[in-house]
Amino acid sequence: MKPAPFDYVAPTSVEEACKVLAEAGGGATVIAGGQTLMPLLNLRMSQPFVLVDINKIPELSGISLTENGIRIGAATRQCDALKNPLLAAELPVLVEALRHVGHHQTRNRGTVGGSIALGEPAAEQPACAVAMGASIEIASVRGQRSVPATEFYVGPYMTILEPDELVTAITFPHWPSGHTPLFCELAQRPGDFALVGMVGALAIEGVAITRAGLGWFGMGGTPIRAYSAEAALLGQALGSIDADTIAELALSECAPFDDHHASAEYRRTVGKRLFAKTLRKALTVGEAA
Amino acid sequence: MNAQQLPQGLGAARYIGQRVLRKEDPRLLTGRGQFVDDISLPGMLHCAFARSAIARGNILNIDTSAARDMPGVHAVYTQADLAHFNAQMLSFFLLPPEVEMTPLASDRVCYVGEPLALVVADSRALAEDAASLIEVEYAELDPVVTLADARNGPPIHPGTSDNIAAEMGDEELDDDLAATLNGAAHLVTQKVVHQRISQAPMETRGVVASRDGNEELTLWITCQSPHMIARWVSQSLGLPQTAIRVIAKDVGGSFGLKNHPWKEEVSVILAALLFGRPLKWIEDRYEALTASNQCREAEMTLQAAFDAEGHLLASHGDYACNNGANPQGPDNNIAVHMFVWGAYKMPAYAFLTRGYYTNTNGLAAYRGPWAIESLIRETLLDRAARKIGIDPVEIRRRNLVTLKDQPSVSSMGIPREDITPAECMEKLLHHFDLAAFRKEQAAARAEGRYLGFGLATYIEPTGSAGSMPVMTGELAQIRIEPTGKVTATMSTHSQGHGTATTMAQIIADRLGVAYEDVTVFEGDSARGGFSPGAAGSRQGVIGGGAAISAADLLAAKVKTVAAHLLNASAETITIDGGTVHVTGAPEMSRSLGEIAAIAYGEPDRLPPGCESGLEVQHRYQPPPMTFTSAAHACVVEVDADTGFVKILRWISSEDCGTVINPAVVEGQISGGLAQAIGMVLLEEMPFDARGNPLSATFKDYLLPAISDIPEFEFVPANTPSQALGGMRGVGEGGAIIGPPTLVNAIADALIPFGELPEPLALPLTPTKLLSVIEGRDLAAHSAPAPVVVAAAAPATEPAPAAAAPAGEVRVDGAWDMVLKTPMGPQGMVVTFAVDGNAISGRFDSPEGSQDFIGGTLEVNRVRFDLKVEKPMKITLKYDLQFDGDSLSGKCKMGMFGSAKVSGTRKV
Repeated sequence: MKPAPFDYVAPTSVEEACKVLAEAGGGATVIAGGQTLMPLLNLRMSQPFVLVDINKIPELSGISLTENGIRIGAATRQCDALKNPLLAAELPVLVEALRHVGHHQTRNRGTVGGSIALGEPAAEQPACAVAMGASIEIASVRGQRSVPATEFYVGPYMTILEPDELVTAITFPHWPSGHTPLFCELAQRPGDFALVGMVGALAIEGVAITRAGLGWFGMGGTPIRAYSAEAALLGQALGSIDADTIAELALSECAPFDDHHASAEYRRTVGKRLFAKTLRKALTVGEAA
Repeated sequence: MNAQQLPQGLGAARYIGQRVLRKEDPRLLTGRGQFVDDISLPGMLHCAFARSAIARGNILNIDTSAARDMPGVHAVYTQADLAHFNAQMLSFFLLPPEVEMTPLASDRVCYVGEPLALVVADSRALAEDAASLIEVEYAELDPVVTLADARNGPPIHPGTSDNIAAEMGDEELDDDLAATLNGAAHLVTQKVVHQRISQAPMETRGVVASRDGNEELTLWITCQSPHMIARWVSQSLGLPQTAIRVIAKDVGGSFGLKNHPWKEEVSVILAALLFGRPLKWIEDRYEALTASNQCREAEMTLQAAFDAEGHLLASHGDYACNNGANPQGPDNNIAVHMFVWGAYKMPAYAFLTRGYYTNTNGLAAYRGPWAIESLIRETLLDRAARKIGIDPVEIRRRNLVTLKDQPSVSSMGIPREDITPAECMEKLLHHFDLAAFRKEQAAARAEGRYLGFGLATYIEPTGSAGSMPVMTGELAQIRIEPTGKVTATMSTHSQGHGTATTMAQIIADRLGVAYEDVTVFEGDSARGGFSPGAAGSRQGVIGGGAAISAADLLAAKVKTVAAHLLNASAETITIDGGTVHVTGAPEMSRSLGEIAAIAYGEPDRLPPGCESGLEVQHRYQPPPMTFTSAAHACVVEVDADTGFVKILRWISSEDCGTVINPAVVEGQISGGLAQAIGMVLLEEMPFDARGNPLSATFKDYLLPAISDIPEFEFVPANTPSQALGGMRGVGEGGAIIGPPTLVNAIADALIPFGELPEPLALPLTPTKLLSVIEGRDLAAHSAPAPVVVAAAAPATEPAPAAAAPAGEVRVDGAWDMVLKTPMGPQGMVVTFAVDGNAISGRFDSPEGSQDFIGGTLEVNRVRFDLKVEKPMKITLKYDLQFDGDSLSGKCKMGMFGSAKVSGTRKV
């Protein structure tokens, strides 16, 4: 378990990083926290010619409020995001999700952007971005673009990111203060990837739902947005909602798979159950508020 | 256990029975342990292996040229290079394997990950770069992966007629047994499918090999006994053992995997002999999970007949294990049958047991290698109790052997003199209020919460010595240095067992010195003497006995010397706190250091004829076997929404005799239980249909973490054994009794939904448990397609029993014959003398010679009896068919059932 030979560069600006990526012609891999990449390199499942270390680019770290929402620099460490007061106030669901990401040791090094750029279908942060309507900021020598998270993921570990592109930040849109976060994850051991997971938020005005963002992880080849469940919730009065029906709608968006940890039917059965349970709890909290 | 509860005969114990801090811990906890990877020698180079990418096939070509040409690469070796050493792979019993096996694959590969070539380079990274450049051309064959494949598929090893590696017992049920089984009030059948797992020691395998002279070799190797490694390597390579020194100071777990070296270690040693510079190979985690030996995979069906009241009447067991291609010993796990009913009043038991070859990693030992016997028996008993309508406690009370029932002999010939599983269970139930739990369980069920109680009892053979060649006694060499400090050199070896602590506790007590003044050295074949080390829960029992007897001899010498010097009688001398006292004369006290200085430096002052110095050694030979007994119970809650299991309580009531250090004993039991929890709920090493391992990293191979392990409660239930000091082995028990305890608790929790699925297939994943709760098979849509293996005809059809001989029948003369015994194939030369229809003859083997008479010849069939004394008194009944220059048949070995015999005419 030693990586195949590679060149190493540590640019100090996004511009410089993009230049290296462009010059490598697809042979470069970006390293931030390295919590997934290092094992992949050691197993020689990833064999880049050039490793582009973005840890020395100051502008890639930090969390700030912008007019579009809350912006998280791609190289922000998960441990820093976890204790960030702005995030706790604005986006409590991401903080809850981060508590389930790996372990203390991996969160000390792992980055928010690293997980979101990788696209592990059973990971918490990509699903959070999809459910909450985040957009992903991407830079390359060809310019900058911003892609909705819902359009970013195309399959397990596959995204629309071009080989010369770098994820620079993730912007989560503003959600009304006091919105209700939803999070539920089932993993065999604490810190494992999910067998089944759901994440999202509801905004409630009076007794009606005014905004819903809901997503799945571990329930298919990508993080999945539960559009039909969101649509069914919008404008509904809290007391009139049947959580099981909504969960059934959400489940219809999924295509979970079998592996030796759990069967697809297990994921469907338990996914629906946990979705409904989490939703019911959120509605009760909303009602009480 | 506290000091007051100590069994008699241990005298005033200040340290035995105490939780003294471990001597090893300051070094280990501050990162100053010495593991193989900590060894770095001048000029040392690094090794990596190119490995087979396919499970079965013939090697057409290995092209190493690109690897050899790489800068930084010093050598690339294939089996062609290593062949001239003629290294012989050996089992733990130092017997050669039945099928041809070389350190590196020569002309064929038989599992994914099999080593093909060894690269020697400046660094491990360069060695891996070069290994990836080695091109191998194969003619691939369909692999034989599962037990079903092995039964139906073609033999994977050339020259064999089937995939049976080892076989004992009888296929056809004895008429009386069948009648009892079928006529019983209750016949309960349990089937268990035990998954394959990885031993997964924290320190993976590794070796540093250094050729120091023409035939001098120093090895640093992670192992279970440096002495065993030295003996194994000496015999394997044909090197004089005096030229081999093996060092293993600290070892990070082993669990049976490191009993002896295997292909990779042998390849590195041979390469070091060839190349001349020291070589290092450290197995990485990917290799450890995918290319190392593995353990456990087996299937078993157990039938048990009960009378109307739930008393056992008879039983039959059918066992098969998947040995992989090159197991450390081709095994049919006879111990499963020896011990399955060992603790119970079971009038009659018969069995059939087989081990199969497949194109998977070889099997090696793992903590309680026969443990499936407890899993299947204890889960069967709970199911039987439910069927008969009695409590799990009651069915055990009616059938367990109690102290009142002893001495007695089990139906498999196991002598029982002091086993206490029934007494352990009663002590456990005194600690755990089962009636109160049943109320709590009923109340919880009413709320939709599913609690379960699991109980299991067992006995375990420990401290085995004297019955098998490598299972020897243990040696203690103790000296009081001229400074008065005590140094002990032991044949024991710790892979986390803390023997440097426990042995020092014993020595300090027996000598009357401070624990801090005793240092124990082990882990070096140049120190102490032979022992197999940690293999079979033996070191506390046998090493402890050696420490006691050697310390007592040394104390006696101190007393003799002191009595002479102080002009007192030896009976009045006591040693306490490192000081020698004369009873009634406190002014005459002398420090041990003063006595020692005289013993070494002033021989004229010693008693006449007394050897100078204060040094003794003793090898302790314990009773052949010492039994440990236990009852465990646990309480679980199963989440009916998810099928997740939470362990709420776990109680161990274990009779492990004299406890030297409760923390060490509890650590051993807890570690075994952690592995048990892993086996029941998490761990699995599956293969796909092409024989590719599917758990290649710890992301997929789920070991229990600290969050998965409850805090264990320990109920004292110890009674001293007959071994010196009264210890009983405690190394393996947790891994044996843990699985049935947990499975029974899960089954109890799910009673409202029905029985666990048949067969009981581990691990009990959330999918399987939710299937029980939901009453439908949640894995049904996704069952993997059945593996289709071309059912090739066996290479040679076994001869029908009454077939007429094809050629001339000539029995007279000498034959090379092989008997497949539980310890591996045993070779012998048999010379027959025919007189009409009467046969007599002579057996010659390395163990000795023996004549027999009274045999019969019937066309081509020869039958005769041979009475043997070793390893036990038994009559072997041979029934052989002769055909030309070959013979085949069976040997019925009393209660062990039948073993296969084959042979050829000696030329």
